[in-house]
Order: sequence, then C-alpha cells, then structure tokens
Amino acid sequence: MQKYSVGIDIGGTFTDIVMQNADGSERHVHKILTTKSDPADAVIEGFGRLLNETGIEPSRISRVVHATTLFTNALIERKGVATGLLTTSGFGDLLEIGRERKYDLYDLYQRKPAPLVPRAHCIEIDERLAPDGTVEIELNIDAVATAVAELVEQGVEAIAIMFLHAFANPEHERRAAAWIRERHPEVFVSVSTEVSPIIREYERLSTTVANAYIGPLAEAYLDDLSFRIQELGIDTPFFIMTSNGGVNSVAEAKRIPVQLLESGPAAGALAGAHFGAIEGAEQVLAFDMGGTTAKLCIIDRGEPVIAHSFEASREKRFRDGSGLPISISTVELIEIGAGGGSIATTDQMGLIKVGPRSAGAEPGPACYGRGGTEPTVTDANLSIGTLNPEYFLGGAMTIDRQASDAALVDLGLAVALDVSRVATGVLEIVTESMASAARVHTAERAYDPRSCTLLATGGAGPLHAFAIARKLGIRSLVCPPCAGVGSAVGLLMAPARADRSTTFPGQTDTIDIGKLERAFEDLERDARAIVLEAGGIEQGIEIRRHIDMRYVGQGFELTVPIAASNGLDGAELRAAFERVYDETFQRILPQSSVELVNLRVTVLAPVTEDDMGAQTESKAPAAADPSSGRRPVWFGPEGATDTAVYSRYDLPFDQVFDGPAIVEEAETTILIGPSSRFVRRSNGNVVVTLD
Amino acid sequence: MAQTLDAVTVEAQWTRLISVADEAAAALVRTSFSTLVRESHDFSCVLTDPAGRSLAQATKSIPSFIGTLPRSVRAFLNVYPLDQLSPGDVVITNDIYDGTGHLPDITVAKPIFRKGIIVGIAASTAHAPDIGGKIRSPEPREVFEEGFQIPIMKLMNAGQPDETLIKLLRKNVRVPDQTIGDLWAQLSALDLMERRTLRMMDDYGLDTLEALAAEIHGRSEGAMRAAISALPDGIYRESLQTDGLQLPVTLAMSISIKGDEIEVDLEGSSPQVDRAINVAYCYTYAMVMYGLKCAICPDVPNNEGSFNPITVISPEGSIVNPKFPAAGGSRLLVGHYLPALVMKCLGGIAPDAVIAACGSPLWGMNQSGTDEAGRPYANMLFYNGGMGASSAGDGETCLSWPSNVSSTSIEVTEHISPLRVTQKRIVRGSGGAGHHSGGNGQQISFVSRARDKVAVSFLAERTRIPADGIAGGEAGKLGKVLINGEAVDPKSQYVIEPGTTIDLVTPGGGGWGKVGS
Repeated sequence: MQKYSVGIDIGGTFTDIVMQNADGSERHVHKILTTKSDPADAVIEGFGRLLNETGIEPSRISRVVHATTLFTNALIERKGVATGLLTTSGFGDLLEIGRERKYDLYDLYQRKPAPLVPRAHCIEIDERLAPDGTVEIELNIDAVATAVAELVEQGVEAIAIMFLHAFANPEHERRAAAWIRERHPEVFVSVSTEVSPIIREYERLSTTVANAYIGPLAEAYLDDLSFRIQELGIDTPFFIMTSNGGVNSVAEAKRIPVQLLESGPAAGALAGAHFGAIEGAEQVLAFDMGGTTAKLCIIDRGEPVIAHSFEASREKRFRDGSGLPISISTVELIEIGAGGGSIATTDQMGLIKVGPRSAGAEPGPACYGRGGTEPTVTDANLSIGTLNPEYFLGGAMTIDRQASDAALVDLGLAVALDVSRVATGVLEIVTESMASAARVHTAERAYDPRSCTLLATGGAGPLHAFAIARKLGIRSLVCPPCAGVGSAVGLLMAPARADRSTTFPGQTDTIDIGKLERAFEDLERDARAIVLEAGGIEQGIEIRRHIDMRYVGQGFELTVPIAASNGLDGAELRAAFERVYDETFQRILPQSSVELVNLRVTVLAPVTEDDMGAQTESKAPAAADPSSGRRPVWFGPEGATDTAVYSRYDLPFDQVFDGPAIVEEAETTILIGPSSRFVRRSNGNVVVTLD
Repeated sequence: MAQTLDAVTVEAQWTRLISVADEAAAALVRTSFSTLVRESHDFSCVLTDPAGRSLAQATKSIPSFIGTLPRSVRAFLNVYPLDQLSPGDVVITNDIYDGTGHLPDITVAKPIFRKGIIVGIAASTAHAPDIGGKIRSPEPREVFEEGFQIPIMKLMNAGQPDETLIKLLRKNVRVPDQTIGDLWAQLSALDLMERRTLRMMDDYGLDTLEALAAEIHGRSEGAMRAAISALPDGIYRESLQTDGLQLPVTLAMSISIKGDEIEVDLEGSSPQVDRAINVAYCYTYAMVMYGLKCAICPDVPNNEGSFNPITVISPEGSIVNPKFPAAGGSRLLVGHYLPALVMKCLGGIAPDAVIAACGSPLWGMNQSGTDEAGRPYANMLFYNGGMGASSAGDGETCLSWPSNVSSTSIEVTEHISPLRVTQKRIVRGSGGAGHHSGGNGQQISFVSRARDKVAVSFLAERTRIPADGIAGGEAGKLGKVLINGEAVDPKSQYVIEPGTTIDLVTPGGGGWGKVGS
C-alpha cells in the first residue's frame, strides 16, 4: 500500500504542509496562516484538512518531519523562560561584556544584544580548571546547592552551566548538572560541554544560555505537538529538522533545542540541493526571495555548505556582529534586505535605494490597494509587465497596476525620470544589490559564481533570477516546482544527521594518536546513537571526521577532512592540513608546526529507502500551442518587448522554447529574458539556459 | 558639479564598484594570517580614480584606513606619476608619514589599465603579522627602533617582484612566512579588484570611470555640504589633556564652520615627543574625519567628494603632525582622543549628535618571555573601556571606540600564554554619573605562571585624566595598571617574576546631564 511522508514548516506568516508518496509522483500541499498564540493549532487544523481533502488514511503516513521558526522568534522577542547561569568565579559578567566590538562603525548609540540572563541570575561558583583540564580549584558543590536553591526560589525554569576550559575536562560541569537534575527534575539544565564543547568562552556561553532560555518552551511545544499528531490517528515517528540540514528525534531536539533555530532555512537549502542535484549541477547557488528578504546559500555536490557558528536575534537584522553568537553547525545562509515588498526611495544623494525597509504584507505594495503609497519591487514588476494583475498568487488576489504606476511616478519626480525608467531602474538596483551580495559571499567561500547553477525559489525568486544570473555570468537557471513551499518539501529530503565536536589541543609532531582515535570514537558513539534514534538506517551510516587545525601561533583554524581509518599518524594529519591550506592560501609554510584545535564528527544516514530523486510530475500535457497569450514587458529602459506568456502547468515536457518569455504559476512567475532557451522537464524543474 | 548620469545608473554602478572592493576584502580576510586582519578587520581595500581619489571602499574598512589609504595613493603618484606606471606594477610603502602612522601597516597599490590607459587604482592596507623592531610599546624614541621601513617603491615591476626587497623584508621580521604570505594575499586582492573593475566596465560598456567618479564625488560632496550647512556658523574651540608621558599631552582644536565648509585647526597642541605616541598627519586627518562623520553625517559615503568641504590643519612639529624621525607605533594613545575632541567642540551646537568622552583608547598588554614549558612566546592582549553617555541613553559597557578591536578570549589567552586570568569583571559605577550614566569599564586580573621572567608593556591611558562628562554629566572613573597591587606607570616596560599579579582596570565613559535632572 502506498505510504506518505509529511513535511510541516511553520514560518512567520504561513504554515506549509506537504504530503507526498515515496517517489514524489503524488504531492499534496496545504498552506495555512500561522497561529501565533499556539502554532500547533494551525498544524493540526491544516494536517486534518489535508487528510480530509485527499482521503488518505492516517495509517498510511509513514513519517512526519517538522521545522519551525518558533524558537528563533522567542529569542528575538525575548520570550523565553526565566533562566539562571552558573559560571566560574570571577566571570559572572561575561554575558554582559560580550565581544566588545561595534557592529556599526558610525552609530554612536548602538546597543549590544541584551543578555538572556539578568546579572542577578548569573552566579559565580568556586572552581577552576587549567587549559589542559587539570583541576586547580575543586568544584564547591555546596556553592552549587546554594545558588540553585536561590535561583529556583526566584522562579527560574532553566539553568545554564558554563565553566572555563570545561571542554578539556567536563567533570565539574557534569557534577553540577547532575546535582540539579537529581533534585530539581523540573528545571531544564543546559551544559556547555553537551551543547557546544568548543574553546572561546563567550561564544560557548552565549550558545549554552540560549539553549537554556528556549529549552522549556521546546519541551512543552514538542510534547504537545507529538501528542496532538497522535490524536489525528498518526502513530508514526515524528522527527525534527535541525539547523545543520539533518533530522533528529524529538528527544534530541528537546535536549539541545538551540539546534532547531535555523531549521526552516536549512530545509529550504536541502530542497535546493535536491532540485539542483537532479539536474546534475555540481555547485548550486540557491536563491530564495520572498516579501522582505532574499537568502543565498551555496550547495556543493548536493550538500549545503555548513558553517560552525551563526548569529541569532540580531539588533540590526542585516548587520554581522549584532546578534547572539550560536556556535553549532548550521547550513550557511546569507540574508539580504531585498524582497517583493522592499520599498524604493531616494537618499540624501538623490539616488534610488531599494530596501531593506519593506511594506510587508500590511499595507503591502501600492498595488495591493491596502493603503501602501510607496513604490515597492512588486510595483515595479507589475508596472513593467512581468506580473499579471489577473493572475497574482494564482488569481487569489487582484492587484492594481495604476496604483503601482502612481507610486512610481512620485518617485520618478524626485529623480527626474519617467515611470518606465524608474520601474526598470528599481529592478536594476535590487538585482544589482543581490548579485553583489552573491559575489562577495562566493568570494568569502572561494567559489566562482560562473561555475554555479542558480536555483530560484520563493514568491519573488524566479522573477529576478534571470537578471541576477546575467549579472553573475551564470549560464544555467533552475526553477523547481512548488517554489512557495520549498522548505516543507526539503524536510522530506533530509537525512538523519548529528554533528558533534570537542576541543582537542595538540601538535601533529607530538600527537598521541591513540588518544585522538578514542576522542573521535567517543564523539561518533554519541552521534551514531542520535542518528539511529532519529530513524537513520544503520546500513547507510556515513561517518565524517574533521579537525580544525592551524599553524602554531595563528589566530584562526581551517576545518580539515580526515579519513576515518586507523593507523593515521602525525605526518598524515599534517599533510591533510597542508592540502586544505594550499587550496585556501595557495601556499604552505614548511617550517611551521601544525596544531590541532577542535575535533568534529558528522554522522549521517538516510531515513528512508524511497528514492525521492525518481520523482516525476504526473501531468504531461500535449503540445499544441501552450502559450496563453502575449504581453509587452520592459526588459530594460529602451522599450517594451512583445513577450509570450505560458502557464507552467501547460508546458509540455522536454520541449525547448526560446526566451524572452513569462511562465506563470500559482505561487510565482518566472521571467525569462532574451537570448535564452528554456524547457520544462518531467522531474518538475523548469530549466533556463542563458546564451 | 554637472550631473550627467541618472539616479539609477549611478546607484547600480556604484553598488557594483563597492562589491568589487568587498570581494577583494573577502578574499584578503580569507587568506590573511594576521589575527588583526581576520578578527578585527584591521585592513582596507579601496578603488580610486587615476588621481587617487577614492571611489569605493570595502564596507568593513576601518575608519583610520578610510582616511589614510587614498592619501597614500596620492603620495605614490607623486613619486611615480601615471606615465611612469606600467601594467603589472605594484607600488608599496609602510612609511609612517605616507602610510598610516605606524610601520606594521603595509600599503600597496596597482594601476588598472584598460586599452593602454590607467582608468583607476586598486589599493590596500593591511596590518602585517610582524614588522620587526621593538615589541609594541610607547618606548621607541625614533622610528628606526620600530622596525623595517619600506620607502615608496615598486614591489612589482611589470609583474616581476623585487626580490631584493623581499629578501630584506624576510630577514627583518620575526615571522617571515606569515608576513610575506600576507603581502601576497594583499597582491591577490589587488589583482581581483583589477579584474572585477574591468569586468564591470565591460558589462556597462564603459571606457573610463570619469563620469561615474564625477557623480560619486559630486553627490557625496553635495550631501556633506548640506549636512554642514545645517550647523550654525562660528568657531568652536576646545582642548583636552591626555595622561601623556611624564607630563600630560595637550590637544587643542578649533572647528570653524562657515556656510557649507569646515576647517579644523589643531594649533595649540603639544609638540612632538621622543616616544612612540606621535600621530602622523595622515592618522590625525583620519581620526578627525571619523569624529566629524559620526556626529554630522553617519550615512554619507566616505570619499574625496565628502572630504572636500573639510580642511584639517595641524602644525608641523606638533604631536599631531610630527616630523621625521618621530616614532608612532603607539599613536592610538593620542590619536584616539581626536574624535572625542571633535565631539567636545560640537557639543555646544549639536548636543544630540555627540557623546561624552569614552574610556578609550584601546587598552592592551604585550608580553614576551617563555611559557610554562620553557618555549619562547610573545603576544598582545586587548581590552576596552566604557562608552560615553549621550542624550539618547547610557553609555554602553566595554565597547571599542574609536577603534574596533574585540577583547581576547580568556581561554585563548591561557592557551597562548603562561598567564592565568583570575577575573574579568565589570567595574560597576565606573561610568560617570549623570542623567544618563557613562558606560562601565572592566577589571582584568592576571597571575603569571611562567617559570621565568616575562617582559610586559601596556597600551593604557586615562589613568590620570578621566573621560569627561557632557551637559553636566560627571567624568568616568580612572583606569589603573597594577603590578602586585601597586599602581605603576603604564608607559614603561616591566620584567615580572613568576607569581606576579597584574590588574588592568579600563576607564569608564563620561556621563550625560546632571544627576536626577
């Protein structure tokens, strides 16, 4: 009997639910407004409706995978639980002191991110470890007892523990944690060596505290949602997406919920990876553009590039360094303040700027007719003819081109340009700023955008991707199906995955290989258990080892892949390091010693034997004249071009068409410029080739 | 200035040029050894026009180099006019007067040729991992003690490196592989800027950048003039004193505003000194411009257009415009006061645009000796004091200003040195009292676990003269440097025995407004 997998993605505005069969040939999608008071309400309601509409029996659901922005929002809105901190004596102020760097050079009034724990709840404990883990001052367990009693008395629901150098010897943290867990099982305990056992106290502390702060929320929410899904009659494993692009069990998600912060974007990146991989693309630049922001992510040989830290809850949304550092593995994304709702305006130099201010959904672009009067990117698109006023969001909403033009005329008056020049100009500027961000991001990671395939998703992604591809010199553009629910689809592609790391100081010329091997094995044992618990298929387990290494005296490390085999020696470790070093710097330093800093382990396993890559779209219409008409489109300020319009659903498979063209679908519009060809494939992608 | 390009063309092409500099900066950060480059962004990449006027700089460039780098390019052009530059040439210097005011900053520039004509210049400054000479402290009496000096010369001649210079540089620095490696990283960044600029010109069908440069400079200048015009005409004079050496250093400033122009004059400032705290004019200029920009127009881009309406005059032979061979390795101990003095001058006419004095400059402790295992080691640790308060609110606790250097992690400190950190605590109440309080400083305490003696020197100021409050706010508390509990002169070097304790107490920022008002 046909089995179905279900992906549920709760975003800020919409909750998306996708249900599909094993090979992806049957896919049902439901979109429902997120219920802010209790997000599980929308999930259960939408899920129930989807089951009703499709008539699929709950017993045929084989697994459910979930991603949510709930905890990210709890950090932004500072709506976590009352949290306490136990830390080494002398260092109770570290959260408040932070990194001491400005995130904006010219803003005299900038504020550091507000600590998640008030100073009165940061309690210093007598204990001290040396950098190698030697105990210099024994843990004073009585001090722990007194501190915890006081914190509990004050209503604290979660306690974070971070002692200096604990990654070299977790004993003090463990004893303190055990003491609390035994006597106060109702208190959530977050321990730095369990969450992020990596050198640099502020980043580790920030991560451990954030984990505590959202811990009880995650426990309550996930327990409730699991229960309510069971009530729907679905008695099947329930998995949670984590920021690294893997799925975990509910138990692991509850233990280290800080891993869930980027779960939605990670799922989106996985969907990008999947639809890029089925086109055979080695390197993909995944580009997602919605109403307020655009996101970019590099995908290398089918996997999103992973970073080992990111920032949550920024004081200034698009400003590095203004957030809470979170040191865990995460799919690396950059976010740009450019979306369909981004407002175009003039600055003090009389130039047009687009975003990051957005009209959002309310009042929305001028063309929504809900009171917005400033021109947005969507207004510019409507004005130049790329959007169809009769078929916006699949016809669910009508939009007013005259309102767009009126708003653009006002902007044009300020800079002495006519409406078509302003409209094409707004689009030129917004695509240039996204292309520039892509150039800088790929340069940071040493990728060349010209060898990437651009993969466009989100309501506004396929509208702007062609122009961005032109600017970046990209020749191949892929627009996957269901652009609007990419993250929910991505959930179904995710393997079980666990990343573990620890700091392991040493030098390659003096290293104790046995000790290194044991340290790796400890990490692997832990990660493997989590992967199996998350439904990973044991035969499919893949283990990856990395070591963060550097030349002695350098202030930064490179993450070096290490073959997971016995008999490795110091010279081979050095050689592995120098290979990566040479790739990065185009040189090596033969006279310098090499040191190890952190060990990292990734354990991955597929969670299903289904071959999602085999999916096809069921509908393959006949080819008479698939075009649904023509309309003039301004591809540049010179004039409008008469352009063929197609419905995506009516395009026959594998038939090549020439650009320029517009391909309309319910969730987005694909704009295809001149000097190009495009084809709709049976795997669901529309692929555009630029000359 | 006549504007010939429309608002869309200028914005799109300018955004593209900024991405050219940002892309080069990303490549430089990725391939640099220097921790200061990687973690504190102590570098800059700039694209200038053929006259050495800045067109676009990397977004994360630090304020000091924004002010100095185009000046260095113009100094290069004085030595090598355009007709003496060939494709593949790279000019270099670390001269403190033509560069950034201290030797570790190496500046390189490369002309960008298109169809045989120079259309722009790619330039970069970065803090080298080492430049030889004495370990950083205020002690050097002449620049000769501070390390290896590179005059303005060609590092690359039509693509061929000057091997003699490279051999000499290698021989004169402690970590030659890293220093030379970073220099190549800078050259790669220049090459990248060259290629990307040419591609941008291809894409937009441009033969020169002249029209775009005129727009960038003209529009920036217009915005700056508008911002200046909003301030009342007049001459606003202030002075302040720093701890200095045996005697305090006086910095005097008058800001005269006339219509849409500003002249800043530092007449009355102390004469240059025979210690490494002199501030070469290039750095003086950069710090004054930074202070003005923060207060007057934080959103106007930095380039020669926006600099045009502003003149900075500094008397020759003064501590803010010293003559060769004055030393400047610790120039920040004086230079970081200049933006604060700008704020003080403007406080009367733009009270909501300024902040009280900060617990700046950047504090640091340099050590060299042998570690617990007997191996030689040397490193520099950094810390910051509190920000000044303003009408907008309290000063922030422990924040780097006007520089932007993070503090060194305690765990990293204990891994790279034989020191134990026994506390790192906010000194509550060290920010000046006021309606809004100044930001608090901090106390960092160390004990040496080395087996042998360790030499230590400091970057420390405001141990005698505190950060002033404004609008009736009180001054912040003084900073302190204590060795075994005794206050010491932070401008001298000390050799400490095993078991010695050191306390650094960074100063608090000044308060704003009368208490309780």
